[in-house]
Amino acid sequence: MADRGRGRRTLSFIVDSVGISRGDSLPPAVQQPTPVFPVTEQKPLPLTGGEEAEYLTALKQDFRGAMRSLPCFIQPAAVHRDVERYSDKYHLSEQMDGLTDWIIDWKRFPKELRVRIRKPSRDGAALTCLGGGQSGQMKKKKAGEKEEVLLKLETLEKKEEQESSEEEGEGKNKQKEEEAEAEEEYDEEEFEEETDYIMSYFDNGEDFEGDSDDNMDEAIY
Amino acid sequence: MISVYKMTVQETRLCGLFLREHFGEVVEKVGTHLLRSGAQNLRTIVQETNLSVDLVKKCLCVLVQHGACLFIAGRKGPGSPTEYRACCDRILRVLRYPRYIYTAKTLYGDTGELIIEELLQRGHMTMSSTVKTVADRLTQNMEEGHSLDYSDVSSTFSKLVETHFLQRCPPVGGAGTSGSAAPAEAPATPAAPAAAISKALPTPESFPDCYTVPQVTLVGRGKRQLVPEDGEDQRNAKRAKMNSETHGDEGIYWQVNVERFHQHFRDQAIISAVANKLDQTSSEIVRTILRMSEVTTSPTATCTKPLSANEIFRSLPASYNIPRQILDQYLTLLVDDPMEFVGKSGESGGGMFVVNLHRALANLARATLESIVQERFGSRSARIFRLLLRKRHLEQKQVEDFAMIPAKEAKDMLYSLLSHNLVQLQEIPKTPDFAPSRTFYLYTVNQLPTARMLLQNCYKTVANLIERRLFETKENKRLLEKSQRIEAILASLQASGAEPEQLSEVEEMISAPEKQQLDVLRLHVNKLDSAENQVDETIFILESYISSTSTS
Repeated sequence: MADRGRGRRTLSFIVDSVGISRGDSLPPAVQQPTPVFPVTEQKPLPLTGGEEAEYLTALKQDFRGAMRSLPCFIQPAAVHRDVERYSDKYHLSEQMDGLTDWIIDWKRFPKELRVRIRKPSRDGAALTCLGGGQSGQMKKKKAGEKEEVLLKLETLEKKEEQESSEEEGEGKNKQKEEEAEAEEEYDEEEFEEETDYIMSYFDNGEDFEGDSDDNMDEAIY
Repeated sequence: MISVYKMTVQETRLCGLFLREHFGEVVEKVGTHLLRSGAQNLRTIVQETNLSVDLVKKCLCVLVQHGACLFIAGRKGPGSPTEYRACCDRILRVLRYPRYIYTAKTLYGDTGELIIEELLQRGHMTMSSTVKTVADRLTQNMEEGHSLDYSDVSSTFSKLVETHFLQRCPPVGGAGTSGSAAPAEAPATPAAPAAAISKALPTPESFPDCYTVPQVTLVGRGKRQLVPEDGEDQRNAKRAKMNSETHGDEGIYWQVNVERFHQHFRDQAIISAVANKLDQTSSEIVRTILRMSEVTTSPTATCTKPLSANEIFRSLPASYNIPRQILDQYLTLLVDDPMEFVGKSGESGGGMFVVNLHRALANLARATLESIVQERFGSRSARIFRLLLRKRHLEQKQVEDFAMIPAKEAKDMLYSLLSHNLVQLQEIPKTPDFAPSRTFYLYTVNQLPTARMLLQNCYKTVANLIERRLFETKENKRLLEKSQRIEAILASLQASGAEPEQLSEVEEMISAPEKQQLDVLRLHVNKLDSAENQVDETIFILESYISSTSTS
C-alpha cells in the first residue's frame, strides 16, 4: 500500500478481470455530494389504495389527534412573545385539566419521580411547590392582586418545608424557571376561576389580522 | 430483536419524531437524550437536557407509563440512584399501531378495536377502567336510549387475554404491588426477588399470572356523556369521573402484547404468500396448521411443532370438504415446493408436517429485497441480483453469461448496484501478495447485511415522510386553524339549532381558493400517512427476518 502510484493513474484492481477493457471511459469522478433529490430512472409504483389502506390511514390520524388531547401530551411552556399581551392572562390552558385527569399509580414508578401538582382548591389549602428553596426572589409579574399575595405567602411557606426533602441542589436559574413556571400555572388557574367571562369565547381578534380582506365588508360575527 | 444497546442514527431520529407526535416536544427531548446516552439517572438527565426537574420527571413518567422507558435500581449497589433506559424497539412500534388496532377489529369487532386502542393510547390500564372507558365510548355512538353492558366488554377483554393479545404488566419488584387482589385469585408472584432486578429485566411472560384474568366485580352499563355547556361544566364532569369505586383488580395492569400481534402478522404473510404462489386450498391447509400451532409454538421457534396429516385432516375448516387423498397430495406439493414453507419431519400418523417459520421469513425477506432492486434498477438488474443471491460468488464473465445480458450493460448494472452497496466485491487471491493480475474478483450478495441496510433505509424513509408531513402542516397552519375554528363554530351552531342561512354564512367565511388549498393539503397528508403504513409492511418483514436470524 505504500506505493500508490505516486500520482500516476493506476487503479487498485486489475482492469481486465473486473471487466473494463483498455480504452473504455470510466464514469467521471464524483466532484460533489450526491444531489438531495436525485433523478430516478424508474418511477415508484403508486400506493396501494383500497378500503383497508384508507381505514388504516384514518385510524392513524385519529390516534394522533387523540394523543394530543391526552394528559400525557406535554406542551412546552408557552413562548413569551416580545410584548406582554392582555390576552395572555386569559388563554385557556387546557393542558392543566388534563394533568389532573391522569391518575398515576405511584407504586409502579420509582419514588423519585413523584410529582404532586394540585390546583389551588377553594378553601385555600396548601399548594405543593416543586423545586428548590430560593426564597424571596420571585418575579412580581402581576402586582396588586389579593389572591396572588396569598399565593406567594403560601408558596414561601411550602418552600421552607420542602427544602429539607430536596434531593439535589440546583442552579439558581433552574429554580427561578420552576417557580416562574409553577407560578404561571397557578396564576392562570386562579384567573380562570375568577373571571365572569366564559374563557372559550375570548378572542382578542389578533389571529384574524393576517386574513385577506376580500369580501369582508362587515364584522365576522 | 434489534439490540437495545446500540441505536443507529436513523432509528434515533425516527423515535424522536414518534415521541414528538404523540407526547410533545419536551418528551421528545428527554427521550432522544436517553436514546443517545444509554442508561442515566435522573440528576444527569436534568443536567444534560437543561430542563426543569419536574418537567423531566413528568416526561419520565409518561415514557415509563407507555413502556418506552425502563427503570432499574442502581447498578453500583444499593443506594445508587435509579437508572432510566429508553427502549428504542418499543418506540418504533408506534408506526404499527394502526395495524394492531385494525387486526383487533377484524378478530374481535368494534369492542376489541377500542380496547386495543385505549390500551395503546394510555400505555397500561386496569381491566376495570378499560372496560368502563370502552363501554362509554361505544355507548356514545349508539342510538339514544341504548347502552352497552359492561359484561359484553369484559368478555371481549377476556378473549383477548386468552389468545394472548393482552398481557399483564410485570409487577414492579420491591414495590410489592399485588394490590388488593380479590380472594379468589392467587397473588401475582414475581419470578425474581426484588434485589435481582438490576441483573436482567424479567419479561412479562416469566410471571405465571401473565395471562390470568382477575376476578372483577364490574356491573353496569356504559354512560353517555352529555355535551358540556361550557368549560366549567366539562371540568366538573371530568372530576366526577374520578370516583373511588373499586372492582377487585387494583394494581393489576394490562398492556398490549405486541409480539403476539407480530406472530399473527407473520402467519398472515406466510398464508398469503402460499395463496399467491400455489392456490387457495394450499393456503387454507397452511392456515390450519398455523392455527393449531398458535399456542404450542414459542415466538422464536424455527418451525411449528410437528402435526400429523390425520390431525390436520380433522381440523380443516368445515367448508373445505376435501377427501383425505387430496389433502395428502396437497401436502406433498407444499413440501416439494422450492419455497420450503412446509417440511416433512416424520412418517407416523400419515406423515408429520411442520411449517418452517424461519425459512419462510428468510424467503419473504429475499423476495422483498429482489422486489426493491427490481423497482429501483429495472428487471435486468434484478435478474443479476437474484443470480448472485442464488449462486453466491460469480465472476464478471459468469454474471454476463448466466444473466444473458451483453457485457457492457451487465458491467454498468453491476457497478450501479455496487455503488449502492447492494452487491459486494470479494477478492480471492491466488498468491499471497494479492497482486491484481493473480486475484479472483467475485461479485456477491449477502442477504442479511443487505436486509439490515435496507431496513435502515426504510426507517429513514418513514422519518422523511413524517418530516414532510410536519412541514406541509406547518406551512398551512394558519389556514388549518381557521378551518378548525369555523368547524367548531358550525358544530356549536348546529347543536343549538341554527338557521340554514346562519350556517351557510359561517361556511362562506372560507373562500373557494382556500377550500381548494385545504383539499390539496388533505390529499397530501393522506398520501404521506398511507405511505408510512405501507413502508411499515416492508419494515415488518425485514425486522422479523433479522430477529429470526439472531435467535436461530
